[in-house]
Amino acid sequence: MNAITTMNASQRFHAIMEGRPFDRLPLVEWAAWWQDQTVVNWHQQGLPKDLTDRYDICEHFGLELWYQDWLRPRHWECPGALYHGGPIINDERGYNYENIHQHLFNWPVDKQKWAQWAEKREQRDDVLLWFSLDGFFWFPRTIFGIENHLLAFYDEPELMHRMNDELANWMISTIDTICEVCTPDFMTFAEDMSYNNGPMLSEDMFNEFMLPYYQRVVPHLKKKGIKVIVDSDGDITEALPWFEAAGVEGILPLERQAGVDIDALQSISPDMCFVGHFDKLTMDKGEERMRQEFERLLPAASKGRFIPSCDHQTPPAVSYDDYKLYMELFTEYAHKAGALMNTT
Amino acid sequence: MAQNEELYNAILKGKRKIVQAIAEQAVADAADVEELLMESMIPAMKEIGDRFSRNEAYVPEMLIAARAMQTGLDILEPVLAAKGHEPIAKVAVGTVKGDLHDIGKNLVVIMLKGAGFEVIDVGTDCDVQKFEEAVNDGASAVCCSALLTTTMPYMKEVVEHFATKDDVKILIGGAPVTQAYAEEIGADGFANDANGAVNAVTECLGIAS
Ligand code: B12
Repeated sequence: MNAITTMNASQRFHAIMEGRPFDRLPLVEWAAWWQDQTVVNWHQQGLPKDLTDRYDICEHFGLELWYQDWLRPRHWECPGALYHGGPIINDERGYNYENIHQHLFNWPVDKQKWAQWAEKREQRDDVLLWFSLDGFFWFPRTIFGIENHLLAFYDEPELMHRMNDELANWMISTIDTICEVCTPDFMTFAEDMSYNNGPMLSEDMFNEFMLPYYQRVVPHLKKKGIKVIVDSDGDITEALPWFEAAGVEGILPLERQAGVDIDALQSISPDMCFVGHFDKLTMDKGEERMRQEFERLLPAASKGRFIPSCDHQTPPAVSYDDYKLYMELFTEYAHKAGALMNTT
Repeated sequence: MAQNEELYNAILKGKRKIVQAIAEQAVADAADVEELLMESMIPAMKEIGDRFSRNEAYVPEMLIAARAMQTGLDILEPVLAAKGHEPIAKVAVGTVKGDLHDIGKNLVVIMLKGAGFEVIDVGTDCDVQKFEEAVNDGASAVCCSALLTTTMPYMKEVVEHFATKDDVKILIGGAPVTQAYAEEIGADGFANDANGAVNAVTECLGIAS
């Protein structure tokens, strides 16, 4: 038992993800809070006003520090969309993939930042390192715009393949650059390709336009010991086996409101890892409701391969006091899950 | 009345060039375009909507079918109008104030158009004034979409705004919205997908389907 009681954040994470015994669940928030709403409210309600940085707020609440770097394939000088979800190419401005290409795949990795983080991971026991990459659904969507992207599966198959091929090459070199400094614990592919009724695209489309590129990048990550997780909101139950076939090892955030059920996921894919799933909509409903939610997750969490955490950003209706109560309960159940895991 | 299989399949599979050719030929031949619309085009959209509800077709398939449908409608509409063909009803669809999510709203628009409604798409981030303008423009139903728990309460304001207008029906939908919420705020209808939206509007307006 000794080894189990002295786990640091990184050891704990890997133990859980690999289905090995763990001391307790990590206390984590994988998504940053809505700065312009939730955090603004909390500042009125007692959160010290000088706390604005995500990690400072984590420390304030006693959350582990999961340092995240989101590496973008689009350079900051690349033209953006004119409106939320709009296209960058093929609109009235006349941009096309060729003439924005100079702004793609050249985002510099901040090696100094990674070196500092790696040092912190050495020095402290509550630090974990991860990075996110725009995935093979997400990246073409940012270029085509939401609606044109969905049409592009039929209208522009060659361009879609070219984008994802170039993206895969860039991912591999970016991963190598980070690994020159240190080995992050895990990474996420940002996809958001599901909604309340399941995936937005069919398995055939996934297999044609996404799978081949996952199959190039995922083995590279695994070789380096970086856990591979897909970030997709909505109901991912139907797409779970598609991702598993692509070699992906985990999924987050398992949105409860969209009908996701951890027990169903664990029975479909017992080897997959899961993060999230705590129904964010219960967080302003008081202790009893939050306890019920933790109780729902406890059996699955004590089996391993599952790290409960809020299933997306904490909604603005959740007050500072609600959140402190949530943290108290989270801590209690984090220990309960560890104790249960070690007795079963 | 008979179904034009080729046209039906072309819409179902989103083959807009085939739809264009058939529609143009029909106009040139002075064929019964109303029959084409009612027996081939609308049923094709209904079928793709049903497949979408069963997760046998996905968003891209819905969008290409809708685009093919629109290609056909653009060609047939002048003839239909000249013959005095009327849309079933005029309906406004928009995402409520503070909310920019529009994929679901667009699918609702598509399915309503595909079922023969005239749709005023009021866009995203719509306040009651925008819905009001559409109602002044003849919309007899207002379909509000919301994807955020923070914007969902605005639907209540829309319901209250039109409370005195019995002839305007308010329907709501979007990821966080439920039947229970619709009842709680006194909305006239709810559906959890775009296909259901057509049925709900049809029902609310008392249109025989
Ligand atoms: C894609 C997406 C985005 C895209 C939207 C692009 C666009 N142009 O629409 C982007 C990335 C821009 C985005 C932004 C944000 N998003 Co968002 N997003 C999503 C996601 C993943 C899918 C939504 C979607 O497109 N669904 C596909 C369509 C087909 O489905 P649908 O909209 O549900 O519509 C169907 C039915 O609901 C119904 N329907 C819809 N409307 C209506 C209306 C009527 C009358 C009827 C009858 C039926 C009906 O028919 C449709 C078709 O069948 C959802 C996750 C989810 N579970 O839905 C999160 C989600 C909605 N987003 C969320 C959040 C938090 C945000 C942001 C606030 C993030 C941020 N901090 O910046 C911003 C908000 C921006 C704003 N002001 O609106 C949260 C909301 C949580 C909450 N507390 O409510 C969700 C639930 C994610 C999560 N896991 O929690 N998002």
